Amino acid sequence: MKKILLIFSLLLLTCTYVMSQTVQITGTVTSSEDGLALPGVNVTVKGTTIGAITTAEGKYFLSAPAKAQTLVFSFIGFRTTEVPIGGRTKVDAVLTQDTYNVEEVVVVAYGTQQKRDVTGSVASVKGDAIRTVPVQSFDQALQGKAAGVSITLPNGVLNNPPVIRIRGYNSISGSSSPLIVVDGVPIASGNFGGTAAANALSDINPSDIASMDILKDASATALYGSRAANGVILITTKHGSGGKTKVTYDGYVGFTEPTHIFKVMDAAQYIEEKNAARVNYLGESAAKIVQLTDANGKPIDTNWADHIYHKGFQQNHTVTISGATPSTSYYLSVGYSDQQGMVKTNTFSRKNARLNIDHNVTSFLKIGANIGYTNGYSRSPQVGADYATAASARLAFVLPPVLPVYNNDGTLNIAGAGIGGQGEPFGNLGYPNPDVVLKENKFTTETDRLLTTLYATVTLFKGMELRTQYGIDNLTSEQMWYLSPINGDGQGSNGDAGASNRKFRRWNWSNTASYTKSIAETYNIGLLAGVEEQRTVDNSWSGEKYNVNDPFFKTYQGSWTNVYMGGGGMGENYYISYFGRASFNYSRKYFLEGSVRRDGFSGLSTGKKFGTFWGASAMWDLSKEEFISNAIGNIFSDMRLKASYGRVGNISAVGDFSSLFLYGSGLYATVPTLAFTQAGNADLKWETSDKYDAGISFSLFKDRIQTQLNYYYNNINGLVLSVPQSPSKGIPGSSIPANVGSMYNTGAEISITSFNIAKPNFSWTTTLNLSTLKNKVTALAPGVDEILGYTGGLEISNKTVVGQPVGGLYVVETRGVDPQTGRRIFVNKAGKEVEFYYENSGSARWQYKDESGVAPAITQSSDGKIMGSGIPKVFGGLDNNLTYKNLDFSINLTYAFGFDIYNGTKAGLRDQRWWNNSAEVAETYWKQPGDVTDIAKPFWGDNISNGHNSLPQSSLVEKGDYVKIRNISLGYVIRKLPSITGIESIRVYVQAFNLHTFTKYSGSDPEISSNGDSNVSPGVDRNSAPQARTYTLGVNINF
Amino acid sequence: MRNILKMAAAFLVLLTAGCSKEYLNPVPQTSLSDLSVFDNKDRIVAQVNGMYSAVKAGWYLGGRYQSVADMRGDNFIPLSNNAYVNFNTWNHLEISATMEVNDIWNQIYASVNTVNVFLDGLKSNWESGKLAGIISEEEYNQFTSEALTLRAMCYFDLTRLYAKPYIQGNGENLGVPLRVKAEKSAEGNDLARSTVAEVYAQVLSDLNAAEPLAIANYGSDDLNTTRIHKNTIIALKTRVLLTKCDWAGAVSESAKIVPASAPFVAPSGVPNALSTNWSAIWTNNTTKESIFSLPNTDINNGGGQSAITWYFSSESGESVYLVATSPVYAAMDPTDIRRSSMDVLVPGGSDPDQYFLTKYTHFTTLSDWCPVIRYAEILLSRAEALVRSGGSVTQEAVDLLNAVRTRAFPTGAFTLASFATPADFYSAVLQERNFEFLGEGMRSFDLMRLGLDIPAKEGLTMGNIGAIPASSAAYYWPIPSGELSLNKLCVP
Repeated sequence: MKKILLIFSLLLLTCTYVMSQTVQITGTVTSSEDGLALPGVNVTVKGTTIGAITTAEGKYFLSAPAKAQTLVFSFIGFRTTEVPIGGRTKVDAVLTQDTYNVEEVVVVAYGTQQKRDVTGSVASVKGDAIRTVPVQSFDQALQGKAAGVSITLPNGVLNNPPVIRIRGYNSISGSSSPLIVVDGVPIASGNFGGTAAANALSDINPSDIASMDILKDASATALYGSRAANGVILITTKHGSGGKTKVTYDGYVGFTEPTHIFKVMDAAQYIEEKNAARVNYLGESAAKIVQLTDANGKPIDTNWADHIYHKGFQQNHTVTISGATPSTSYYLSVGYSDQQGMVKTNTFSRKNARLNIDHNVTSFLKIGANIGYTNGYSRSPQVGADYATAASARLAFVLPPVLPVYNNDGTLNIAGAGIGGQGEPFGNLGYPNPDVVLKENKFTTETDRLLTTLYATVTLFKGMELRTQYGIDNLTSEQMWYLSPINGDGQGSNGDAGASNRKFRRWNWSNTASYTKSIAETYNIGLLAGVEEQRTVDNSWSGEKYNVNDPFFKTYQGSWTNVYMGGGGMGENYYISYFGRASFNYSRKYFLEGSVRRDGFSGLSTGKKFGTFWGASAMWDLSKEEFISNAIGNIFSDMRLKASYGRVGNISAVGDFSSLFLYGSGLYATVPTLAFTQAGNADLKWETSDKYDAGISFSLFKDRIQTQLNYYYNNINGLVLSVPQSPSKGIPGSSIPANVGSMYNTGAEISITSFNIAKPNFSWTTTLNLSTLKNKVTALAPGVDEILGYTGGLEISNKTVVGQPVGGLYVVETRGVDPQTGRRIFVNKAGKEVEFYYENSGSARWQYKDESGVAPAITQSSDGKIMGSGIPKVFGGLDNNLTYKNLDFSINLTYAFGFDIYNGTKAGLRDQRWWNNSAEVAETYWKQPGDVTDIAKPFWGDNISNGHNSLPQSSLVEKGDYVKIRNISLGYVIRKLPSITGIESIRVYVQAFNLHTFTKYSGSDPEISSNGDSNVSPGVDRNSAPQARTYTLGVNINF
Repeated sequence: MRNILKMAAAFLVLLTAGCSKEYLNPVPQTSLSDLSVFDNKDRIVAQVNGMYSAVKAGWYLGGRYQSVADMRGDNFIPLSNNAYVNFNTWNHLEISATMEVNDIWNQIYASVNTVNVFLDGLKSNWESGKLAGIISEEEYNQFTSEALTLRAMCYFDLTRLYAKPYIQGNGENLGVPLRVKAEKSAEGNDLARSTVAEVYAQVLSDLNAAEPLAIANYGSDDLNTTRIHKNTIIALKTRVLLTKCDWAGAVSESAKIVPASAPFVAPSGVPNALSTNWSAIWTNNTTKESIFSLPNTDINNGGGQSAITWYFSSESGESVYLVATSPVYAAMDPTDIRRSSMDVLVPGGSDPDQYFLTKYTHFTTLSDWCPVIRYAEILLSRAEALVRSGGSVTQEAVDLLNAVRTRAFPTGAFTLASFATPADFYSAVLQERNFEFLGEGMRSFDLMRLGLDIPAKEGLTMGNIGAIPASSAAYYWPIPSGELSLNKLCVP
């Protein structure tokens, strides 16, 4: 605190202001379109900081120096215009619209730049593009909006963080997710919940976002140093503007449903097919599955999906009050969202408030604050991914239709921890009754988040600005869970309840000095120097009890008999960094920029805490060269070449204390022990990413069609991998992490924005983003040939090897079902075909197809190979926006091509135990020689022929290519309303999100990730819940 | 202008002046860093206990090691063919990649490194004077002796399982890699195997260095059983020398804790002696007979499927048992308490009755203590060594044998006349050891140290396993695949 006082006093001492002869100038600013006055326009005396803002009538009053030559008029959405004063005292101006957004300002690291001056690779997405999308968090709506950025929603569960990848997979042990910076402060991201997911980014109300700028190459990201390798997303929240106070209300209501429900066998089909399987395996005398009847005598045919999915109702409201006077701008927003998901009992609600204020205290001192508070609450049952037996997504298709929810006497159909078998010949099942686990079990996460940025800027003299900024990110997350003793996972321990609390606290303080100077309009220099410190403390603790004393108690605080040992953890880290940037351009024709950052991170070992990262870029505006503009100027209104290179880092694989040698404490019977538990690696450091980028951007037909083409190559070295140690060394864990691996990502990006039609009454804009990606691992740890990727801890679904993309799908090759025998044909490592005979025992199960006898058993480790990759080779989006008079229509498509999915769910849908199967099994299972089908001859209990978790087969690897109608909306604006209402305009719209997916993939959705954000196990679909389709009806009212 | 720039620079510099050194070097709050573990006596004692805790892990002396030693022998029949509970050891189908071959090696070497890291830290802190005032020189010596003894025990246990016995070629065959310095980094993965003789030399050198430094008596029964004292070292040395076929050495060593005639009570240090009541050894964990045992509780034990109780209790579905026709059972007298105390389970049908040891009975909590060395072993070892070194059966040797035998089988005393030749005596001692130490991890090692073939065994439904001759590669365990793939100098 003492330091802050010192700084302010220094600033006061050093501030200067000019006093000299002045002249009063006034005038009116109007729009060239309709001649109407433009309020809020910035009028400045060129070459000074003296300025004014036009009033509601478009008038301004200015005290300009006598020597002043030119006035500059600038306003968002209009082209900046310069008017010579010529000795007049009344200087009017007419501004033309910046139809093609060429004068946009984009936010870059620690500052802003004119879009046309950006030499690095930056993609900008305006906040309005995602404002009305019915998702919980802005990152879910970014798919297809920026070239090089791939967003995958793992499933339709509310508030589940999506997987974000910018220009490929940039790490193996660390994180590949980008750094998220909100109003200059790097914030916490990821899942802060458990079973009830809590996406940390949903704490930002999408309505509050003014713009999202995505930094991709070394030049743009270098100023984020050791956290930049995965790219950076800069979020800027809204600030008030333009004169009179504006009030807006955005609201929508809607409902959501699953996009896909598997068509499974009904009771009649189930009985027929399963009994055929029983006879095949156990003989004609096998006990048969029978059709049961309910209390009214009707046959029981339960559609389990109906008990799990429903139409969820959603509503969302945001009210904002914003405005600006010449010295102060303010933005206040309050939002409330209450959503039900497509799975019963999955809910999400959020209350948030934000206040952003900027105030010019004097002409040289400006202060401001952005404060946002959010309270979020999620409830979810166990839904899916992997092998949890209570996972609702799987219960929807695994449970037999012949079983009822209730017994005929009205009691619940349960037996122990599972659903009751009703005397059918498959006994009691280890899977619970969904009605119980969805209603009785409870998993919740509640988060409280405070995001604050406070700043002060001092303009020492023209072009020289000092800025100090202090930010806070405080996130508290409380998870609670309850497992009912009636049925499911809590039955064995007579109920279980627990709570855990996580407290994330971060402060960030940066101080920058920037200087811009233009010498004779030709030599333009920009300099930036800064210092930043950031400290994060992340602590958690938990408790759990079991064996309830009365089923009335359903929370941890209730009365229980047994207690588990509590848990928790404490982490902290600190960054101190020094950085600088220099940009130079000659006549806005030749641009050069270089940035450098020196980061010190507390998790690195003593003496090795600091590292230097840098990026440099160059750009040549060809269209300003006379010889070019003469040759092609009438077609190309703009043509630039860019190139950049640099080295940034990824520190995520280095933990808070990874470099230390640590001792853990335990027990020797009843006395405490201390033993060496972590062999820290004092040489551990960040992973490095050398990024190359080259691009060309050009505009055709007077900026009508704007195109950007980029080629990128990210060479990643020093990947942190566990290097196995000789067991005789006795190192804890027998491995030590070290920077040993390497990998690269390369590809091209194409971005085309075409203002097809831009008339006042009719406009049509198309935006296409296309990105390609090739990822390859080039080195792993010495002595390590492969890294296996697991799904659910049970199944080895992926394998990473040198020379292939990370996380290849690791399966045994199969070649369909033999029409003659009805057996699955496997291919062993020698290439010979082997068939599987479930009904035989032991080694006689595997027989060569050519009938030459018994074959060695097929296993994944000896016969498996990599047969696909879950990483799309081409992906992107296509947006079309049309307006006609008061109507607006937009359709957003997203697509991904060139990837595969391991459809593990299909193995379950063909499993020949008591599990229900897809209707396809009943319709097409092999019955007699000559049948051509992909369903092997059914044998009761056979869970290998059609796919098993210890023997994944290639029949389950499918192409995932898809085109998705991500968003489609139709709106109508009503403008001329009676002034009594106080409403300036109302837009009413209907919108559908995830309307339809065109794909050949037979699973629930090709946009899937059962393993979430994992780097080594992408492309796996194992019992995941489908995506959600949401229909909304909304209004945007401007008062 | 210049001044203003200077001010701006000063402003930036000012901010960095306060940059927090302590933030840049955070100290974890849930683990101790190696810089603070020698700050006070409690932490040093905790590190000593940490070494014992490492050898007490389920994969070493918490249960797996004893189980494997017994299952490799000719005595038991397993209830389960689950590979997870050492079935491949029982039927001698273990290979270099077998789970228990790798995991037992890993845990013993993890214990060795825990000891080496402690010794290294203790020694350097002592020599730098940092420990002055924190521990006394006696304590420094005592902790050093405990560390050296535990390491010696680890290497002895490694080499008698993973290498040919000493008796084959006088230890000239390949043993195990000898690591005697702290391993903390990624360096030094490659280390060649030392010979069996070299390993024994290291073991004896550690034990001989430890003995004068060791405490004589802790003053509490609990510590005298769970921690190492002078007599523990002497007992362990006796075991090592006997295995090394150094009969004279075994005689002179055991003389330090076994007097020339009954009553057999250790004359110095802890007054170790036979417990008069055999059952009391298992109900009272800290009798004077238990020279060294590893303690367990309900929340701190070897764990399910690794704890010693899991392998021998009648309540475990995965333990081992005897039947009436099992050679060791049939050879014991029905009145011998070691046989009569066994639990009987009647499986029904045509299957024979199953007899289970009752040494470890706390199945729900797995809290039975694991015996490492008992006084009874020293008496029997001394008896055998006396005859082998002297060349003829003596009354002293017979008395020693009888002391152990008649404690459990009062009417079974031998006389000098019972043994026509020394060979008869050796068979009798070997058999007595078999009766006495069932389920304590001795049988297969007793056969191997004498170079005797492992006899065939009948396993009922689990199959009959043929004899393993002493010349067979299955006589001892292969070097685990995990070590071979990462230690380039280690040959199989």
